[in-house]
Amino acid sequence: MSAIASPKPSNFSKRMNKAWTYLSKPQNMILLILGIVLTVTTIFPMVTILKDTVALHPGSIDAGENAADSKIEVVGETLTTYNWTNLFSDKITTRVGRERITKSVASIYLWTPLLNSVLISIFACFGAIFYGGIFAYLVTRTNLKFKKYLSSIFIFPYIMPQWTLAVMWQNLFNSNIITGGNDGLFVSLFHIYMPQWWCEGLFPVSVVLALHYAPFAYILIGGIFRNMDANLEEAATILNTPRWKTFFRVTLPLVKPAILSTILLVFSSAMGSYPIPHYLKLNTLSTQYVGMSSNRAGQASILAVIMMLFGFLILIVNQRTTSGRKNFTTVTGKSGQSSVVNLRAGKYILAVVFLITTLATGILPIILFAVETFLPNPGDYSFLTYGISGHMTTKWWMTAENVSESGMYGQKGILYNAEIWNAFGGTLIVAILCALTAGTIGTLIGYCVSKNRRSKWAAYVNNMAFLPYLMPSLAVGVAFFVFGSNVGIYNTFLLLVLAGTVKYIPFASRSALNSMMQLSGEIEEAAIIQNIPWIKRMFRIIIPIQKTSIISGYLLPFMTCLRELTLFMLLCGQGKIITTMLGYFDEMGLYAFSSGINLILIVMILAFNALVNKLTGASLDAGIGGGK
Amino acid sequence: MARIELKNVSKRWGGYYAVEHLDLTIEDNAFVTLLGPSGCGKTTTLRMIAGLETPTEGRITIDDVPMFDSDLGINVPPNKRRVGFLFQNYALWPNMTVFQNIAFGLSNINESGARVNENGEVERDETGKSPARKLSKEEIKRAVDRVSAIVKIGQFMDRYPSELSGGQQQRVAIARTLAPGPRVLFMDEPLSNLDAKLRLEMRSELQRLHLSTGSTFVYVTHDQMEAMTLATRICLIDNGVLQQYDEPLTVYNTPNNLFVADFVGNPAVNFIEATGSQNGDTLDLTIFKNIKAAFKPNGGLKIADWYAKDDQQQADIQAEKARKAKEPGYVEKTNKDTVFKYNIAQVEDDGEKASAISRSDFVLGVRPEFIRIGDNEAVEGEVFSAMPTGMETTVRIRVDNFLLTAVVFGGVVYKIGQKVRLSFSGDNIMLFSRENGRLIVNGSAELKSSKLVKS
Repeated sequence: MSAIASPKPSNFSKRMNKAWTYLSKPQNMILLILGIVLTVTTIFPMVTILKDTVALHPGSIDAGENAADSKIEVVGETLTTYNWTNLFSDKITTRVGRERITKSVASIYLWTPLLNSVLISIFACFGAIFYGGIFAYLVTRTNLKFKKYLSSIFIFPYIMPQWTLAVMWQNLFNSNIITGGNDGLFVSLFHIYMPQWWCEGLFPVSVVLALHYAPFAYILIGGIFRNMDANLEEAATILNTPRWKTFFRVTLPLVKPAILSTILLVFSSAMGSYPIPHYLKLNTLSTQYVGMSSNRAGQASILAVIMMLFGFLILIVNQRTTSGRKNFTTVTGKSGQSSVVNLRAGKYILAVVFLITTLATGILPIILFAVETFLPNPGDYSFLTYGISGHMTTKWWMTAENVSESGMYGQKGILYNAEIWNAFGGTLIVAILCALTAGTIGTLIGYCVSKNRRSKWAAYVNNMAFLPYLMPSLAVGVAFFVFGSNVGIYNTFLLLVLAGTVKYIPFASRSALNSMMQLSGEIEEAAIIQNIPWIKRMFRIIIPIQKTSIISGYLLPFMTCLRELTLFMLLCGQGKIITTMLGYFDEMGLYAFSSGINLILIVMILAFNALVNKLTGASLDAGIGGGK
Repeated sequence: MARIELKNVSKRWGGYYAVEHLDLTIEDNAFVTLLGPSGCGKTTTLRMIAGLETPTEGRITIDDVPMFDSDLGINVPPNKRRVGFLFQNYALWPNMTVFQNIAFGLSNINESGARVNENGEVERDETGKSPARKLSKEEIKRAVDRVSAIVKIGQFMDRYPSELSGGQQQRVAIARTLAPGPRVLFMDEPLSNLDAKLRLEMRSELQRLHLSTGSTFVYVTHDQMEAMTLATRICLIDNGVLQQYDEPLTVYNTPNNLFVADFVGNPAVNFIEATGSQNGDTLDLTIFKNIKAAFKPNGGLKIADWYAKDDQQQADIQAEKARKAKEPGYVEKTNKDTVFKYNIAQVEDDGEKASAISRSDFVLGVRPEFIRIGDNEAVEGEVFSAMPTGMETTVRIRVDNFLLTAVVFGGVVYKIGQKVRLSFSGDNIMLFSRENGRLIVNGSAELKSSKLVKS
């Protein structure tokens, strides 16, 4: 130190020098900016919800039955504790027949829906893991027939919009006698009337959710099965371990982390799902929220807060489990040969069973949607008995002018309907913008975090970006609804893109982080040493090398955005994007229109997925699987 | 072209010191190897000089220009240090051809008076008076041609790295590093991914490269043979602490301590525990339980004097440490330094518990080539194993329960179990203090004759 001749610099200039050095690294600069931005976009809407629960909403107190007797404490000018006290301590009297039943507000508006939400989440987890897990095992570890075909069809239900299977369930099993409305296919064809519990409520919701999320379980668990070193099982076989014991003591513990992460994801997704319980008529937190949001807005926000608490809980559990000692490395790289269990005759029987189920969940909905658009009236399957001519129509597609007869309600056919195509345009705008922002930010986060592995700030930014992933969609939607209304951007593309970006950054950041972690730091250092600027390093070296996973990072938000309803439905008017437009046609009873829109949407998503997969090798399932 | 100076450089993560208070001067045009076992901090040191790692404290200068200074808050980013770095796994960009890999760095040069001369060397105006300019396509081509001729990869220019063998990739990496004319070349275990034969060949080419470029080379390796053969000076590091910084032969012949003696040399040095005291010029020692030896220190050194001087030095170091410990921001080293645990080769582990060590306990270090085998030598032993390579024979000889390794030149055939006699030759036998592991002095050791005793 004495060797330094220059005078000791002031602390200030030393700090400035240090800050300058720190920020001159692009990854630090980006992390700093993104950290602040994400904190604002993630935390701020949540805070607004919390504030909303103590806000005085016009009309909400009048709606309460005992409004007159309840004490209203006005805190300050606009703050009130009414929403909380009314929900948790007041009672409400309803008239059922001649009896007057008095129940607490909470049990009607909170506990019943909460119980339903938790139940469907649990059932969906079990169903998805059971169905998807067995399928994953069969495809990766046995000599099942038609593997290639089966595994590509199996993930269709996840790629398609959530409500597809719910709507199909209705189309199949509903009947005028039991559920009201139109007769479904079963009634029309076989005159089978399914009971009420089969058609509506807890059972169908759980089954449909399980079928929708089973591909998730298949991708996550199958990923581990696929990469698992066969030596691990062979070692047990050599030691003369019975096969069932090998499975339960060696194989199953190894896939436990994947099962856990499936549980967490399915639980949080099912919790916030709106369309499925909406179509199949179950009172859950999300449908209750939508029902309450107009006349009990403050209390609806309390429901949203509770959904968020579940999200936080899941995040904490997720952190605990992924950092534990039992997070095994199953990929060792050696032994490419994986042993395959011989199913003997079972390879055909099981293949046929899965062929039927995947056709029912993956292909049938598309066919049904297509057929629906040619039926003269909803549920009128008379063409099956009387022949096509005269019992099928192209009017839902082809009507070019404004006619009010033949059940069109003044709508033009789908092909000529400007409103529908506008909504499609809106969806595309939102999807493209969301994909661009979420993909770019996610990729940058993945890059920066992989560069600063030890830094606490990087870990914070990563968690902040990850948080919305485990938040129920509806809760995020509510947060942005309240936030958007407060700042006056309700029903704008800006709000939709903002919400979509925040919700979908995790897709991109996860796949980017996983792939960046595998890229040796030296590849970039070799360029740094040669004084190659950051932009050029990114575009000439990092991005070309990691292009498939980066494209996945853009693809996932794009695809998910196309079919998103729960997140967006509160944020805009019905004509803004196609998924909310669907709800409008359902309300109007124009089921052929909604079927047509569903059909176009599904075909579009599948076509995009196939195209991108062909062109770049990136795919949705690779993105979801993302290594871990 | 470049002189590098490190002053009091430390790098730590929490209490773990990867590099502790390192002072090092690398002279211009030197070929310095950073040598040590894995995890000793040598790569961290190299990366700190290159700017890829930020030291916790200290000062690094290249050509007297500060690159890093924790007191001044200076940290020149690696891209502004104008150095070359050769990575262990080559880090070739897989998406570019060989030509693009080499040319990529050149296409970025935008400095004052940058140009490529007729020989293909990149020149700059060091005074910075000429305007900055980029290199033209022809210039880049000329520069790429020059470096690819040096490493003989001219015929691969359109291939991708994945289409090259390991040795070829290595050459491309060298060419890429050389192309922009770095003033220092850093190499991080560049040969460890090559097979044994190729490694030997590349070693000699690196030596020629050093000669022809005239750059300063800093080279990290854990292979003492590479360090011995290539370096003008070896910098030996253990547990983040500099052990010795000397020319290769000095390190070999007069290692500072037991660790250095053990690390350098293959086959490894023989350590023999000894007890005894100084009588006049000679030290009367007992080794192998009951064999007497007379050790004559070179220059007639008095052991007591050495200890007195050593004690004084250690006291100074401790005082300095105590002073540092009081400074704000001091963090205690959790990876403690210990006296090196040398290995005494034995036939059977006698399980003898270490007794208290006094100043009359020593360790003799005898290099294998200083063990003389003949019919008339002092001590009797038995051949335990013999490994002839044709050029030389490595023999392990059992004396009592102990094993000694000797190297005999020429194809001598020994039978296992055969009785031989041996003694120590020359005056390069090393005497270490057993108490602190440091070298006291070199000298000659004369063994008193004895019979082989079977235990």
